[in-house]
Amino acid sequence: MTEQVHEGRELPLDKRRHVESMLMRESLLDKQVMSSTETPVVPMLPFCHVVKIGGRSIIDNGKKAVYPLVDALAKILENFKLVIGTGGGVRSRHVTSIGMDLGMPTGVLAQLRIIDALGNAHLLGTLLAPYGVVAIPPEILGHMLPFFIRSAPGVICNGDPPFSIWEHTPRLGRIPPHRTDAGTFLLAECYGCATHTLVKDVDGLYDADPKLNPNAKFISEITVSELRTLKLQTLPFDRVLIDLLANARQVKKFQIINGLKPELLERALLDEHVGTLVRKD
Amino acid sequence: MENETLDRLTSALVTGSDNDELEMARLDRHPVIQILPDANVIKIGGQSFIDRGREAVFPLIDEIVENLPEHKMIIGTGAGTRARHAYSVGLDLGMPTGVLSVLGFFVSIQNAKMIHYLLAKHGIPSIEPAQFAQMPLYLAERQACVCVGMPPYAYWQPNPEIGRIPPHRTDTGCYLISETLGARSMIYVKDEEGLYTADPKKDPKAKFIPRITVDELIELDLVDVVLERPVFQLMKNAKNRRSVQVINGLKRGNLTRALNGEPVGTVITA
Repeated sequence: MTEQVHEGRELPLDKRRHVESMLMRESLLDKQVMSSTETPVVPMLPFCHVVKIGGRSIIDNGKKAVYPLVDALAKILENFKLVIGTGGGVRSRHVTSIGMDLGMPTGVLAQLRIIDALGNAHLLGTLLAPYGVVAIPPEILGHMLPFFIRSAPGVICNGDPPFSIWEHTPRLGRIPPHRTDAGTFLLAECYGCATHTLVKDVDGLYDADPKLNPNAKFISEITVSELRTLKLQTLPFDRVLIDLLANARQVKKFQIINGLKPELLERALLDEHVGTLVRKD
Repeated sequence: MENETLDRLTSALVTGSDNDELEMARLDRHPVIQILPDANVIKIGGQSFIDRGREAVFPLIDEIVENLPEHKMIIGTGAGTRARHAYSVGLDLGMPTGVLSVLGFFVSIQNAKMIHYLLAKHGIPSIEPAQFAQMPLYLAERQACVCVGMPPYAYWQPNPEIGRIPPHRTDTGCYLISETLGARSMIYVKDEEGLYTADPKKDPKAKFIPRITVDELIELDLVDVVLERPVFQLMKNAKNRRSVQVINGLKRGNLTRALNGEPVGTVITA
């Protein structure tokens, strides 16, 4: 380095005051610079398991779907540290439809939908409170997670990422692409958690919607590239998860399981194959 | 049943799948509103501008103040060299992308605070993401508002395809504000005339590009580009903001002309 940028010295030639670092004066948009930053990652909470509980598929179905799952969770919480995220369910769909009719953009819809999922986190959080689960406000979830998970067997929050008005407009339509499946995955990936499980009301992925098509074929395991080739019209999870999984560094698979068979959850956390496994290539 | 379309939309959303893109697009029949159609979003570069200190920043502040009677401005800030330092240390220590995103946000906040204090005597406030609901009032009252350029993705920042640096940084954050709010324009204030075929600071043969489409840009597949790459895909999907301009803020008058809708740098359209 010929130019010196320590205080008291003259300004460098480009008249920008730099701080010396590996990336100093580099364009972070340069592909060569970008690939030089591929370094190993420290897993922060490798002993935690992230579980997303479906809004429409589980919580909206009331007692008959939720109580048996709560019993299963109560037992699991004796041995596992859980980060539980909830979906927004039917209310999210309703607010989306009114919002779309009123001309709201994607970012506003994302902001609105967070609130329904948060309501569901408090519903489920109340049922799980006797077992020590804490409902955490989303504003402090990220920063406080290591503390809460040390102190409690599990935490619960809305599954959405905090994208809000910074949500991306999708290629088609205007439904926010990063919803609760994606949000819980991103959290699991950043914290380097042990597993990411999506709890729905179907056994996993089918080649068509099994509720509409009785001939739909079950897919027990699939990779990102196979999913991209198949281009299924409906998926039981946020479509953007395919791209997020493709770029995963820590959580290289997730599993979709049927929450109406609550005994499957513990097995999924033990890394058993009990639903559909979606893997990074 | 006074509003049949809404009823159909509601029931389709309630029973249908959010993941059925075609169905969701078919139901999407009304245009999005422009929430703040008079507001211009201006991003002041971190490394390219604020890190140059008063020599670059003071004249730009003067120009912003001169434009207050005419134009509403949402001013977002980049992060710059301290973010590069934080990313370097973070990468060395093994931080994941989400933690680097938190660090980048902090640096962007510092720059927003400094820009804010320079504009404070004109009654211009600075807001954090949680206060965005107050922005319309501030713009109506004072014509401008300073905010953090970094999107508040924090631990939820998606990984990049290559490397570990957060892919959605301050260019993307400011762009998304302009798209969601349906702003009048998106202007990136940097220290170059705009887009070149290579980094003009490193390659003297780099050629200037005054106007280009996103598809042409993707086709060119430049090793280095003037804006964060996610902005280009977002522009293609955009409902509101399908053009942005990159200008050289070191030249007095460029910001004013850009605010008046003149092309003075590189105009990128989708």
